[in-house]
Amino acid sequence: MKTATVLIVAIVAQTMGNVYLTKAMKSVTGGGDVLATAMRAASDPMVWLGTALLIVFFALYSAALSWADLSFVLPATAFGYVLNVAAGHYFLNETVTPARWAGSLVITLGVFLVSRSGARTVTQAASLRSDASEISR
Amino acid sequence: MMTALMIAIVVLGGSAGDVFITKGMKQVGEISTVHPRKLISIAARVLTNVNFLIGLFFMACSFFAFLAVLSWADLSFVLPATSLSFVITTLGAKFILNEQITRLRLAGTVLVCLGVALISLP
Repeated sequence: MKTATVLIVAIVAQTMGNVYLTKAMKSVTGGGDVLATAMRAASDPMVWLGTALLIVFFALYSAALSWADLSFVLPATAFGYVLNVAAGHYFLNETVTPARWAGSLVITLGVFLVSRSGARTVTQAASLRSDASEISR
Repeated sequence: MMTALMIAIVVLGGSAGDVFITKGMKQVGEISTVHPRKLISIAARVLTNVNFLIGLFFMACSFFAFLAVLSWADLSFVLPATSLSFVITTLGAKFILNEQITRLRLAGTVLVCLGVALISLP
């Protein structure tokens, strides 16, 4: 439950961060050299908001790795791709091809399977311990 | 050839980064508090953990290789290729971190990899 909550907040932060960054970066392009564009980007609060949200994502992702398996967390966060496609469609008016919707569906299915596999590797010692603590309760 | 090499750095760098970060976070130990002062001391331990920093370095290499390869190759070619990292990272988790990859988890991961490739096609 803890894993699910942390990862869902992480994915939402990542998607919002990407949307803000895309919005901001599309508006700072045009005119001047790379340095001028970088300066414009650095003075745009939306760039900072997007970056901050991506830092929140990375902090939560690392936190989840402190207790859950990498082979669980990595495919589970792939659900972010689906949210990103949907956000691109609804907030940024990007066209989403049928192949992309199909890909989203396949990812969702994959994440569903991974989420059914349990978040951590259960070593024999750990499972014996949890059995024992259940019995003692 | 150069493109293949760069994509290899993107994929392997990303996977190595994830494996090292996981190693570091497991050393720091399970985070089970939301108390701000405790979180700050945990953050300090994370940011001084050697494995975590090595992982961060690999991720940075992967990211810069990604930017470099995009300067001459098409995103629609590079992005599907990077979906391979899901499978490579899972292998790293199994053989380096000794995680149990059940059939269910493997099947889900392969589907995710396929789906990400589909999404990133032009």
